[in-house]
Amino acid sequence: MKKLQLLMVCGAGLGSSFACQMSVEDVVQQFDLDVSLDHTDISSAVAMRPDIIITAENFKTQFEKYQIEEKIKIIYLKNIISKKEIAEKLLPVLKEKGAL
Amino acid sequence: MQAVNFIIQNILTEASITIALIAMVGLLLQKKTIGQVINGTLKTLLGFQVVAAGSTIIVQALTYFGTIFTEGFNMNGIIPSIEAINGQAMNEIGLGSEIALTFLAIFIVNLLIARFTKWKYIFLTGQANLWMATMCSVFGYFAGLRGVTLVIVGGIVGGVFAVGMPAIAQPIVRKITNSNDIALGHFCTIGYMFTAGIAKITGDITTSTEELNLPKSLEFLQDTYLSLMVVMVPLYLITAFFAGPECSYQFAGDSHYLMYAFLQSIQFVVGVYVLLSGVRLLLGEIVPAFRGIATKIVPNAIPALDCPVLFPYAPNAVIVGFVSTTIGTVIAMFVLPMFGLAMILPGILTNFFAGGTAGIFGNAVGGRRGAIISGIAHGFFITLLPALLVTIFNTLGFVNATATDVDTVVAALFYTWFITPIMNLFS
Repeated sequence: MKKLQLLMVCGAGLGSSFACQMSVEDVVQQFDLDVSLDHTDISSAVAMRPDIIITAENFKTQFEKYQIEEKIKIIYLKNIISKKEIAEKLLPVLKEKGAL
Repeated sequence: MQAVNFIIQNILTEASITIALIAMVGLLLQKKTIGQVINGTLKTLLGFQVVAAGSTIIVQALTYFGTIFTEGFNMNGIIPSIEAINGQAMNEIGLGSEIALTFLAIFIVNLLIARFTKWKYIFLTGQANLWMATMCSVFGYFAGLRGVTLVIVGGIVGGVFAVGMPAIAQPIVRKITNSNDIALGHFCTIGYMFTAGIAKITGDITTSTEELNLPKSLEFLQDTYLSLMVVMVPLYLITAFFAGPECSYQFAGDSHYLMYAFLQSIQFVVGVYVLLSGVRLLLGEIVPAFRGIATKIVPNAIPALDCPVLFPYAPNAVIVGFVSTTIGTVIAMFVLPMFGLAMILPGILTNFFAGGTAGIFGNAVGGRRGAIISGIAHGFFITLLPALLVTIFNTLGFVNATATDVDTVVAALFYTWFITPIMNLFS
């Protein structure tokens, strides 16, 4: 099966999306999942067609304006580096995608 | 000995190689597979060259802007862009290797301080560290420091900032996040503390920005490159209009001068986009390596992260802070030249990221009113400090640029006011 692609997103695609990626990495490692992780800015995110987008709550209205394919799931976080919050919100989506 | 000389003269002076080697050592220390080591090393090398390419684009767009601005308004207009400073320092000024090594030295000093003192902050915002390394290298070089001394002094100055800035901001960050898990690692912190001070005096803590209903149309500003364009396009067009067609002819040739200005303004954003993509590639391997090492060496380390991690806690305050900071920078743009200082144009990236965070700080300490008033003061403050540096940047051969990340500016002023006089004593 093709690896699931998880994309962390913030305004410039540099700092906070990267911090988020490192936390997500810890979470997926706990469950021994082989997924691909990357981070980018909000302008490029949708065009990269990942399976799951993980971003901060404040970007919600922005994403709602985009036309997004149904297969792309978006997860909004309040604390983007909280492993607890990431696990809570990410695991159901991973199950749905059949990765867990 | 010949081999050592060859290495020093041909390899370590080549900045992209130096930084790729740093990444390689980091990956080897983590006992990664050969494949991962090669992958990470090459990506770092690629990232550095992409930064250089982005810098070339920015310099071109800035050179054009500088010319039309001088013609149109009869004065120097300086665009604050730490990306442009970094790109020029690495390429045109040739300090790339020094910056790469100082960057590493800052990491090491940060680790040592966190290991042996009670301040357990590990500064993980890679690009901010890179900007700090840039300013320390540029101003250390200006002060007369060279080689190893330049790197060590830069490492100490930068390392103290890397631990000190998250530490002074932490009481307010705790208040914002209601936890002690994360710290703020962004080199605009002196500006935030200044903002919090003003908000404390002028504010009213009983109201909050989060109760406001802000127009939804402002939210597109969170898209960095989009908001950069929204400001750069009119800035270039208005300036080109005042400069007139003749002035643009040497650049634009036969194309219409306003069309050319429009495309150049987009070109500036392209440059920033390319440069930051390069930074992303460059830091992709180094930051996790550093984080891995830090968590092993420093028990109970608190990661100091980039400012947008705070944005979800008070999204309205971000917009309020951005708008009020921009008002402050516009006021400063007109007021500072009256006192013989350079005209610094509002820097949209800092205004958004630092302004937004300042808004959160202002709101946390002084509520709605505090956030607005202190935001304007913040905008003035972050324009005043870099204005003091412009002469030095020009002496060193930078094109029309300065930086508004105030902590890096304070580090630069420290070099100018303390280290340069000390160096002069010995020469």
